[in-house]
Amino acid sequence: MDNDRLNELALAHLDGRISDSDFAELQQLLESEAGARTRYAEMARLDAELRESGGAVDEPAREKSPQLSSWSRMPRVAQALVIAAAILVLLIPTWMLIWPARPGGGEFPETTGSPRSVPVRSIAVISAEADAVWIADGEKRFGKGTALEPGKLSLIRGLAQIDFFSGASVTLEGPAEIELRSSDLAILHSGRVRADVPPAARGFEIQTADVRLEDLGTSFGVSAGADGKAEIVVFDGEVRAIDRSGDAVSLFAGDAAHLAGGKSSKAVAADIEAFAGIAAVIEKSGGVDETRYASWKASASERRNDSRLIAYYDFEGLTDATRPLPNRAIGGTGGELDGGIVGARVTQGRWPGKTALDFRGEGDRVRFNIPGEFDAITLYAWVRIDALDRELNSLFLTDHYDAGEFHWQLSSLGALHFSTSPVGVPPPPPGQSQATGKQVEAHNRWFWSEEFWDIRQSGQWFLLATTVSGSARGSVTHYINGQRVGFSGGTNMDQPLPKMRIGGADLGNWTDPIWPDSSAIRSLNGRIDEFAIYSAALSANEIRKIYEQGRP
Amino acid sequence: MEHEKPENVEEQFVQMFAGHERDLRAFVRSMGLDWNAADDVMQTVSLVMWRKWHEFDVDTDFMKWARVITRFEVLKYRRKMARDRHVFREDVMELLAGVAEELGASSSSEDYRDALQACLKSLPEKSGGLIRAAYAGDRTIREVADDIGQSAPAFYKTLNRIREKLRHCVQQRLGAMS
Repeated sequence: MDNDRLNELALAHLDGRISDSDFAELQQLLESEAGARTRYAEMARLDAELRESGGAVDEPAREKSPQLSSWSRMPRVAQALVIAAAILVLLIPTWMLIWPARPGGGEFPETTGSPRSVPVRSIAVISAEADAVWIADGEKRFGKGTALEPGKLSLIRGLAQIDFFSGASVTLEGPAEIELRSSDLAILHSGRVRADVPPAARGFEIQTADVRLEDLGTSFGVSAGADGKAEIVVFDGEVRAIDRSGDAVSLFAGDAAHLAGGKSSKAVAADIEAFAGIAAVIEKSGGVDETRYASWKASASERRNDSRLIAYYDFEGLTDATRPLPNRAIGGTGGELDGGIVGARVTQGRWPGKTALDFRGEGDRVRFNIPGEFDAITLYAWVRIDALDRELNSLFLTDHYDAGEFHWQLSSLGALHFSTSPVGVPPPPPGQSQATGKQVEAHNRWFWSEEFWDIRQSGQWFLLATTVSGSARGSVTHYINGQRVGFSGGTNMDQPLPKMRIGGADLGNWTDPIWPDSSAIRSLNGRIDEFAIYSAALSANEIRKIYEQGRP
Repeated sequence: MEHEKPENVEEQFVQMFAGHERDLRAFVRSMGLDWNAADDVMQTVSLVMWRKWHEFDVDTDFMKWARVITRFEVLKYRRKMARDRHVFREDVMELLAGVAEELGASSSSEDYRDALQACLKSLPEKSGGLIRAAYAGDRTIREVADDIGQSAPAFYKTLNRIREKLRHCVQQRLGAMS
């Protein structure tokens, strides 16, 4: 289930601004998926509470039973009830006549008068090039990886692909002049482009002198001449073309349109060939990949000797017939700590030729059984996150959640999360079959990192690392791509940590969950191609080095 | 509930109803009715509850009793409604009511508001301001969007992100995120 899409639909419905087709999609989802219903109901409750409280933070959270005197704080129907009671109108239908109108809202004077100064920031990146020559803009040099801020770009010749942070991707064929306005708006002054817009970037727009092209999740080509004439071809999906007079034409796969003098007219799709070259673009970075892969291999084989390793999995040379995931650490108990691959399929890792495991199904996992007790621990994994479908998405979770065991996972908001507890799950209160969330929370040590991931990073490889040191005081550090990151939240973060235990555990899943409900499903949607556990807290330098040696 | 002994039966009813109106309205919204329809239904619900008030045993769970009535009234209302756009089919409403009942039963409204308060406090100032602008102000979304120099669709996107953050944070506080 695509949670972003579901949120978009649910909130559009709750806001009363949903389109007919989106409504049909939402209803279908609610009918067929229990998870969708839960989310809709959660959003509705949130929306209702926000509306009642105006989103204010000073509202006393625990209201006593209402005082009849505090009229203004009383809900609307209740006000009417009081009126009714006061004048002792027991013939109730007349109440209808004195219902107060819905108030417009509270009185919060601040908020909207804030200045408009928006810091300039990147909205896109050049993701690929073939023989591209740019007109330089002052000092700035353009090339693969260059981050782009709002502004004009001139490509003299060659091909270049620009990935917008909204998720839309545009391939330019020089000569072309394009102006980037925001992560979902570009203006094509002249030249030819092809746009590919995934569902996450729906609403992406390209404008030419005379037409706005609003993308409804699709791919299309546009060419704009200096004379204001434009040609549009839709390869896939649907595009809405709105011309200067405000007339909108919907174009579907295979449709073409011709624009001149501010008027659009449908045309025959004769020009598709002209865009084919763009579609085929850019497969030129092979040489770089080989070098990087080789240098990673060298560093990985050295890493195996590190005596602090509990286990090390390089995910090399896997085939579909491979079931054990071999532990490559030289010291220690070796083969005893091999993982068992369940369901996850072999796929490509960071570089062509490097193997990885693809976690996709609800059952996919690698099983481990790792005995021992540790004062300190480092976990790191190279992970390609495709989506964060669950509230929590497993990286490495010990079975259940017993005393000293830990969970290493990703939240749906894109934070890395480490949790452990000296108690685990306490016995349930009398008369209940399971412990409550509050009971567990009381002893939990939670460490949520800053949020680093959203859907725009889908498909990119990340080095995720967490170090846990010392049993005296909680000391947990999260690293993303070799950089230390702060916390976005947690509980009992300053409390001592227990000695760590692993035992039975899963990579990419959770066996024997504590909770029976939907939060028990934590299967990962993505790939992993390297994973290590150390019985020590690695230093920031060491983590950075692992990143440098392994980045794709 | 430890309220003082109400003097008469009307006052008792008004207190109970006022104390839970907000939760009931949220419950109605969870079944997919818009705010206007929710107001209509709530009026009927208050009437029906008042008529049946003598059947209610004050030592039992008020919300449980009230939800049964409310759910019934929402479905009745739905049947009467002209074929309105964007109202869910009855079976879907029933399913949603089931989920909303579970949610309401598993976390009290006090716990919910505590959690939401904490989550609102943890929002960056700017996000909190946008939420208040959207929910508390008397301005339309378009006006608010204009003020901060965004298009309405872009502003909704921003707002949706903050609301997802709040939803996640609240569920995290209420539930089990170990």
